Order: sequence, then C-alpha cells, then structure tokens
Amino acid sequence: MMAIMEVSTLTTIAFWAASAMTLGFAVIVVTQRDVFRAAIALAGSFLGVGILYFVLSAEFVGVVQILVYVGAISVLMAFAVMFIQDIASGSRPAQGRLVGAVAAVLIFAALAFTAYNTEWSSMDEITDPVAVTALTEGFVEVGTGDDIVIEAPGFVDDEQVVIPNGGVFVDSTGSVGVLLVREYMLAFEIIGLLLVASLIGGLLLMRDPVTTDEPEKGSASV
Amino acid sequence: MTIENVLLISGALFAIGAYGAVSRRSLITVIMSLELMFNGVVIAAVAFSRFTPSAALLSGDPLTAEAIRSALTGHAFAIFVTAVAAGEAALAFALVFAMYRATESVEITDASEMKN
Repeated sequence: MMAIMEVSTLTTIAFWAASAMTLGFAVIVVTQRDVFRAAIALAGSFLGVGILYFVLSAEFVGVVQILVYVGAISVLMAFAVMFIQDIASGSRPAQGRLVGAVAAVLIFAALAFTAYNTEWSSMDEITDPVAVTALTEGFVEVGTGDDIVIEAPGFVDDEQVVIPNGGVFVDSTGSVGVLLVREYMLAFEIIGLLLVASLIGGLLLMRDPVTTDEPEKGSASV
Repeated sequence: MTIENVLLISGALFAIGAYGAVSRRSLITVIMSLELMFNGVVIAAVAFSRFTPSAALLSGDPLTAEAIRSALTGHAFAIFVTAVAAGEAALAFALVFAMYRATESVEITDASEMKN
C-alpha cells in the first residue's frame, strides 16, 4: 500500500521557498513606512501564500487566492493608497509598537509550542485500501439513491449506474465543487448574500453626503 | 515538509499580521495586516486538510462518497474565508474613504470620536 502523501525533495524546497517569500514580504508590509510599497509587498506575500497552496496540493484554493487576493484585493489597496494623496508622507508607527512586538512574539510562541507538542493524527492511520485509493487515484460510485457503493477505479457493472471520480487529493477541483454545492449548499448561498450586502453597504458608505435631499437646519426657517 | 512546519509558517504569518495591526497608525496598513492574519489562518486550514485524515475516514463505517470528499473540508473552509475577506476588504475601504472625507486623515488616532 502506497503512502497517501509522499513528500518529494523538490516539494520541500518549493515549500521553504514559498514560505520565505510569504514571510519576507509580510515583514516588509508591517515595517515599510511608504504605504504604496507596503501594498506592493502585500501582493508579493499573497502570491507566496498562493504558491504554498499549490505545494499543499490545493490547486483550486491556490487559483482562488491568486484571483481574489493578488488580482482584486491588492489592486483595491493600491487604489486606496493613490486615492488618498497625503498618505505619501508615510505612515508613522503608533506608540503601541513594543506592546505589539511582545504580543506577536507571545502569539507565535504559543502557536509553535502547540504545533510541535500535539500528536497530530496521520494519513497513515487510514487502513481501508479502497479509501486510500480513493484519496490518491480515484473511485467509482456504483448505484443510485441510497444504495451507492464505493469501488476501486476500473470497476465495471453493466446493470447499474457507474460514476467515475478522480482521486480527491490529486484532482481536488472537482471534489471541492461537489462539496460546495452538496454539503455546504446553505453556506454557499449565504456567502452570495453576504457579498451583495457588502457591495450595497460599500456603495452606501461611499455615497456623496452633499447630494442628500434634506434641507439644511439653518435654511429651513427662511 | 510536515504539518508542524506548515503550522509554524501559518503561526508566523498570523503573528506578523498581529504586530502590524497594533503597531501601525495608518488605517490602510492596519487593514493590510488584518488580511495577512486571514491568510495565516487559511494556511492552517489547508494544512490540516492535507496532513490529517477526516473523522469519517477513520470511523470504520462503510465508505461513502461524502466521507471521501470530507477530506477536502479545509479547502471549502478556505474558499469561504476568502469570500468573507473580500467582502470585508471592500467595506473596510469604504469606511476608510468615509473617514478621510470627514476628517481629512486616515490615522487611527484621529478616529477616536464618533461624531465629527
């Protein structure tokens, strides 16, 4: 039985390179006084995170990360910086710098301690060979309704409906799509509602206050 | 590359974002730091999905397609968090512009009064 997730040397190198890129640009974001340079470094950090997702074999999440974060949010940040002119003078650090540094170090220490002192369950604990094959190579769903049976890829049955699927980890995009519209259907719809609400809220906040119809208090008595 | 390494990177990104969120005075850099913290959390979710088996696969019950796909719950979580973060960023910048219009400043120390 093959290990579910072998990690090759190349993957390890790519992981550390992407991590260094992410953390390096993140440090620039929080230390750079020029806000526009910070926005550019933020795009670099997001790109590093996107590469990390590809290394972790989450292709779909990686593509979403690049489209939404690198493509949209970074451009939004750059627009905000250019829209507000006096920001070019730079952002001064606040007084809470030392407190912030101590808090950040403590948070990191606690997280690192937890990560290294917890016995994480491992993929090797999965003993069912069909489950292992389903994760790495693929599986077929046989039957309809409540009587669906999972078989290894290559299974043929002329009398029943047979739906082939790719391995969940090697071909995650299709499986994520099915997961979103079956298991998390309600959350998926609510996210759409939330995006519409934030769109309308943003427009309301950005509306020019001068154009309101209400008469001024001073002129009402004239 | 083990789950510990990935969680370490995720924690480091979260801590850097936390430092930026409290140590910067410009609202725009504070929002950037918040986005970094979001990313740190999502990396952890994807790492758990990649390295640890879901409970349904370990239970020993007959295998179902739902149990197999539940191995990708972390990916679904990542997509939801990304969508929420996108909405949050749009609203946050609308607030920054509204504040800039009212006070001619985007520094958080100038935002201590509700009424201008």
